[in-house]
Amino acid sequence: MSVEEVVKARSIADSAIATMQKLQIPATPANYAIWYEYHAGLSPNLQRTIDVLISNNANFNENTLQDLYATFFTSDKEAQAVRETSMHALQTLQEIVGVADLASDDAQQFGHTLRGLASKGLGESLGNLKHLIEDLVQESKSMAGRSDYVGLRMRESAGKIEALERNLENAILDSTMDGLTGVSNRRSFDVTIRKLAGEAMNSGDDLSMLMIDIDHFKRVNDTWGHQTGDTVLRYLAKTLQKAVRGGDHVARYGGEEFAVLLPRTDGKAAVTVAENIREALAREPIELDVTPPMTPITVSIGASVYEPGDPLADWVGRADSALYNAKRDGRDRVELNECSECRS
Amino acid sequence: MVEIVLNSMNAVNAGVDGGIASNPIPGLCLLVDDSLLVRKIARKIFTGLGFETDEAENGQVALEKCLCRMPDVVLLDWNMPVMDGLEFLKSLRRTEGGRGPAVIFCTTETDVDHIQKALANGANEYLMKPFDQDSLVAKLDMVYYRK
Repeated sequence: MSVEEVVKARSIADSAIATMQKLQIPATPANYAIWYEYHAGLSPNLQRTIDVLISNNANFNENTLQDLYATFFTSDKEAQAVRETSMHALQTLQEIVGVADLASDDAQQFGHTLRGLASKGLGESLGNLKHLIEDLVQESKSMAGRSDYVGLRMRESAGKIEALERNLENAILDSTMDGLTGVSNRRSFDVTIRKLAGEAMNSGDDLSMLMIDIDHFKRVNDTWGHQTGDTVLRYLAKTLQKAVRGGDHVARYGGEEFAVLLPRTDGKAAVTVAENIREALAREPIELDVTPPMTPITVSIGASVYEPGDPLADWVGRADSALYNAKRDGRDRVELNECSECRS
Repeated sequence: MVEIVLNSMNAVNAGVDGGIASNPIPGLCLLVDDSLLVRKIARKIFTGLGFETDEAENGQVALEKCLCRMPDVVLLDWNMPVMDGLEFLKSLRRTEGGRGPAVIFCTTETDVDHIQKALANGANEYLMKPFDQDSLVAKLDMVYYRK
């Protein structure tokens, strides 16, 4: 491997890591391999498939990433060799980066080792860099096995990196759920709305949406504090989950706003679901030992029906504008946005 | 002789006046989907863009239509009775002149295996449902308008 090749590999690795961060992809070796190869351009098929996914705003969830790996990294023997080289180069680089980080902690001692190896490798032939790298890795491994400070730090940082990767993975796995209320989060809502709208476009079945916003939520926070505010959010989430059927989707859309997707539900039925939610909340206050005593919370709800062929943003916008009308007309009410040119 | 020249002059003028000469029809688009609603939405968008459209409810019917008259663009569903989208695509690309049309798969099948199979068998692009005018035009930009 020449110096140019190492430099190039490093820049590809940087691009791969940047893309993974942008798309919020967990830093596992398999995912590194996918995005390294994507940026290296070694496999046109992989590149095109990923381009298609990106251009359709597809979600790179665990399944998609596993499929990518299984499709492009476990079949097709011809590309296997190329792949192994790039994997190897990447692993080597990662280890060097780790060693280099360590070297900055103990510059003198490790720098000496580095220089020794460098003079050996570079002195004879520039093309021998691969062997130099291998020696470096070997050296770093033997250092990790030492009982002194450097060895300890080496093991510590290895442990930290592993923990970091695990945390990242857990974070990604958890990221379909809203941490506070336990319903879906906005990210999961964005994926689900596309899936359900695609199905509705195929089948011609109705698909409705509710946008739900707590009335005067700021007053709740100001009167009883943010902890009570959080309790109210959780209570609303629970009420929503009780009011819907199995195939429905409840999500925290943001702040004190929630969204519900209702497959096979027309505008009239969506309003009925919305009224049930509104009434259940308005009936009695949440049982909380607070001063002044808790009063019932109320919500305003906007409903709209998906019109296949319209941009999804328009559909969400119509629910939002119905919600705005409900607020404007006095709150604690449900409004339906009838689309202008509904299906004949 | 004079009359012929005059006639052709009139034809040219009529063309300019009617906006036909300055705005040529982009081509023929074949919409292949078993969903009547999807075909209706796509038809509305394509005719709005100036395309001539034809429709087929499965791959078999689509293939027969292609043998009669080869389209310029094919919008292709995956799951259909009788002959699915992938089978149609394979047959089309083996047909004489069948490498010409720009084929855009348009489906809810979003997994890697489907995309990979579609591209490997000669699809030019892959559009995920639900689509709207903007997402469809973006794909046409890539595989048809820029050609």
